[in-house]
Amino acid sequence: MEKPVNNNIAKLDAEGLSLKSVSLWQITWRRLFRRKSAIVGLVILGGLVLIALTADWIAPYDPIAVLIDVEDVRVRQAPCIHLFGCPEDQPQHIMGIDGNVRDEFSRVLYGSRYSLFIGFATVGFAIVVGTFLGAMAGYLGGWMDNVIMRVMDVLLAFPSLLLAIAIVSVLGPGLTNALLAIGIVSVPAYARVVRASVLSVREMDFVSASRAVGGSTLYILFGRILPNALTPLIVQGTLGIATAILDAAALSFLGLGAQPPLPEWGSMVGAERNQVFTAPHLVFYPGLAIMLTVLAFNLLGDGLRDALDPRLGHVSG
Amino acid sequence: MKQKLFLLMSLMVLVSMLLVSCGGATEAATEAATEAPTEAATEAPVEAYDGMVSEAPNCDYGGEFLRIEAVDEYTVQFTLCYPDPAFPSKIAFTAFAILPSEYVEASGGAGDLLTHPIGTGPYMVADWVRGEQLVLTRFDGYWGDAALTPTLVFRWSTESAQRVLELQAGTVDGIDNPGPGDFAVIQADPGLQLVARPALNIFYIGFNNTYPPFDDERVRQAIAMSIDRQRIVDNFYPVGSEVASHFTPCAIPNGCVGEAWYTFDPEAGRALLADAGYPDGFTTSIFFRDVVRGYLPQVSNVAQDIQAQLLENLNIDAQVVSMESGAFLDAADSGQLDGLHLLGWGADYPDQTNFLDYHFGSGSSNQFGEKWPDIYENLAAGAQLADDAARAPYYEAANNAIRQHVPMIPVAHGGSATAYDAAAVGAHASPLGNEYFAVMEVPGQDTFVWMQNAEPISLFCADETDGESLRACEQVTEALLAYEVGGTAVKPSLAERCEANADLTVWTCYLRQGVQFHDGTTLDANDVVLSFTLQWDANHPLHVGNTGAFTYFTSLFGGFLNADE
Repeated sequence: MEKPVNNNIAKLDAEGLSLKSVSLWQITWRRLFRRKSAIVGLVILGGLVLIALTADWIAPYDPIAVLIDVEDVRVRQAPCIHLFGCPEDQPQHIMGIDGNVRDEFSRVLYGSRYSLFIGFATVGFAIVVGTFLGAMAGYLGGWMDNVIMRVMDVLLAFPSLLLAIAIVSVLGPGLTNALLAIGIVSVPAYARVVRASVLSVREMDFVSASRAVGGSTLYILFGRILPNALTPLIVQGTLGIATAILDAAALSFLGLGAQPPLPEWGSMVGAERNQVFTAPHLVFYPGLAIMLTVLAFNLLGDGLRDALDPRLGHVSG
Repeated sequence: MKQKLFLLMSLMVLVSMLLVSCGGATEAATEAATEAPTEAATEAPVEAYDGMVSEAPNCDYGGEFLRIEAVDEYTVQFTLCYPDPAFPSKIAFTAFAILPSEYVEASGGAGDLLTHPIGTGPYMVADWVRGEQLVLTRFDGYWGDAALTPTLVFRWSTESAQRVLELQAGTVDGIDNPGPGDFAVIQADPGLQLVARPALNIFYIGFNNTYPPFDDERVRQAIAMSIDRQRIVDNFYPVGSEVASHFTPCAIPNGCVGEAWYTFDPEAGRALLADAGYPDGFTTSIFFRDVVRGYLPQVSNVAQDIQAQLLENLNIDAQVVSMESGAFLDAADSGQLDGLHLLGWGADYPDQTNFLDYHFGSGSSNQFGEKWPDIYENLAAGAQLADDAARAPYYEAANNAIRQHVPMIPVAHGGSATAYDAAAVGAHASPLGNEYFAVMEVPGQDTFVWMQNAEPISLFCADETDGESLRACEQVTEALLAYEVGGTAVKPSLAERCEANADLTVWTCYLRQGVQFHDGTTLDANDVVLSFTLQWDANHPLHVGNTGAFTYFTSLFGGFLNADE
C-alpha cells in the first residue's frame, strides 16, 4: 500500500532556497527546538528521567531505611549541607530528615520514579482505552457513537478528582487503584479527541481509496485512519500526563493513593502537612518536585501543540 | 359487634402487657397513690412523693444493678448485686448525667436529646451548626458558681497545625493537643501558655486471637518482644510521655502490679516466631485511624515505624491501612480487624476497672477475640473489693495473665497538652480529658472559643464514647458526683453525698435541693431513676439513644436488664 500523502510534507527549508521532502516528525522536532519554553520542559523532563533511572546510584540512602540508631539524627531534622557550613562531623542530609527518620533527599529522588510511572501508566491506559472507544464511535457512528459518547459525557460531568476519589473509595486505597481511577477519569478526554479526528480523517480521499480497493473495516480504521489522527492525541497526552501526576499527588495527599512507606511526593507532603511551620523542608522539597514535573510536562505539551499545528507552521518560533 | 368486643379485649391485653413491662415502677406508683389520699387527708400540705422504682427480678442477668429506687424527693438508693468500691467514681462519669424526665420522655429517647440536651450544667446549648461550631450560653439559674464567660464556643479541626495557627492568630482562646513539634513553639511564644496533661492513658497494638497467625500465643509474644517501644516513645512522643510497663498507668492504684512488660529482644522474638512455624515471617496489615489523640500524637509515623520494625526484626511484611475513625472503631469492637490495630484509651475515672474491665472483662467487646478466663475472673474478683491492698493480688494475677496471653502490646502513656492564650484565667488540662470551661475566662472578653480535635458526634453522652463528645456534654449536663476540676478526685455535684452500707452493696445518694434544669424544671429523685433506667433496661421505651449501644453502661455496670441474648 502507498503511504498516505500527508505524512510527507514538502516544505521550504529555512533559507527557502531548495525544496526537499521532510517528514512530519522532523518538522515537529525542528519547530519544537525553536521554542525556548519547550526546551526548558524537555531539559527538566530529561533530568527527571535520568534521576528516576539512576536513583539507585545517586541516592545516598535507601528511601525507606529508618536511620534511628544508625546515625545521630533527630526526627524532622533540618537540612545539613557540608558545603553551606554544616559541621563535617554531622552526616550530610541535603533535604533534612523526615518524620520517620529517613533521608528526605533519597525519598525525593526515588519519588520521581513513582510520579513518572504514574503519569505514563495512567495516560497510556487512558490513550489505549480512549482511542479504541473514540475510534469505534467516530468510524462506526450510529447508535454505537451515541452510546459511547453519552457514557463519556456522563463521566465528564463529574469533576475528575471527585470521581477518582469515589472510585478509589470503592476499590480501596492503594497506588494501583489510584492509577486505575485516574486512568478511568481521563478516558473521556482522549475518546473525544480521537473521535473528532477520526470524523474528519475518514472522509479524506486516501481513506476512500483504501475502501475502494476493498480494505477491511479494521484495517482502514487502525491502519489508515488512526495513524493520521494521532497529532492531537500526542498533545492531549503530554498535557494529560501533567494532570495525571497532579491528580495522583492529590489522591496520595488525601491518603488514598500510594501507601506508606512508599516515597511518593503527594503522600510525603500529606504526611507532613501539620509540620509546615516547624519543619517546612519536608513539605517544600516534595512540593517543589511535583511543581517542576508538572511544569515540565505542561511546557512540553504547549510546545508540541504549537509544533504539531499546521496552521501555526511558519509563524511559530 | 363481635369485632368490637375482640378489639376491646386485645386492647386490654395490650394495656396489661404494658403495665407488666413497666414492672416495679407502676406497682410502686399505684402503692404510693393508694397511700397518698389518707396522708393528704390528715396532714394537709405535704404531698407524698410518687417515687419511681426500677428493679431486676434477680441478679442472674449478669449486671451490677439490682434495684434503683427514689426513696423520697431527694434520696435515691442503688442496690447492687455485688460490692463496688468504684461506684462513686463510676456515677461521676459524664455518661451518667441526670436529665429531666419530662424532657427525656417528650424527646422519645433520641431526636432533640441528641442535639439539644437539657441538663443542670453551667452552660446550655444555644446553637449547634453541624460542621462548624457549637455555641453554648451561660445558664443563669445554675446552682453552683456561675460560669465566668457568658458565651462558650466549641470549634474543631483535625489538623494540629491549624489549631496552633488559630491560637496564635487569636481567633481561638484555647486548643487541645498541639502537635509534638509545636510544644516548643508555644512555650517560646510569650502570648501563649502550654498546660501539660498528665499521661493517664495508654497506646497499644492490639491483636484479635481468632485470626491466624495471631491465634498462636507464641506469635503474639514474639511480636511483643520485637517491638522497640523505647524507640517509638523517644522519636514520636512529646516530653512527659513514658514507655508503658503495664496496660494501666502506674498513677492508678494497682495499675502496674505484676511483672513488667517484655524487654526488647528481637533475637528471642525471632526464635519464638520460628518455633510457632513462621521462621520467614508472614504478611499482615496494620490498621489505624488517622486521628490524633493524647495517647497517639503522630499516628501515621508510629504506624510506619512499627511497620519498619516488624520487617526488620521479624521479617513480617505489614501493610499500613488508614481507616475512617467511626468505621475503624466499629470494626475493632466487632472483631473484624484481622491484623494488628493501633488504638488507645484515656482514663474516664481513675480506677483499674476503667482500664482492664473495659477491655478484658467478661462484658468487653470482641476487640481481642476470645476472652481469657484467667484474666477476667481475676478482674471480677478484684472489682468487688474496696481495699487497694486486698485488690492487689488479683490485679497482679490479671496483669501477669495479660503479659502471658498478649491480647495487645502496651506501648506508651502519651503526654499531651492543652494550650491557651496567655491571658486566660483558669486554664487547665484535665487528666481525664474533660476540661471545665466555666472556670475559664480571658479578661475583657465575653466569648471563650475552644478548639478541639473533632466535632462531637452527639450531645447525648450516655450513648457516646468519644472524648470529643464527652467534653462538650461535661459543660451542659451533670452527674450525681463530679471529678474535681483538672483532677481525678470525686466531689459532690447533684448529690450532696453518696453513702454506702458496710458491704458496699447499697449506695444512698442525697440530692442537692432546688437544682434547676435549663428548662426551668426542678431536679428530683425520679429524674435520677429515669436517667439510669433508660440506659439499664433494654426494653425501656426510652432506651433509644444515638446508636442504642450505651457502651459505657454495659462496660462499667456489666450488662443491660432484659437484654436480648
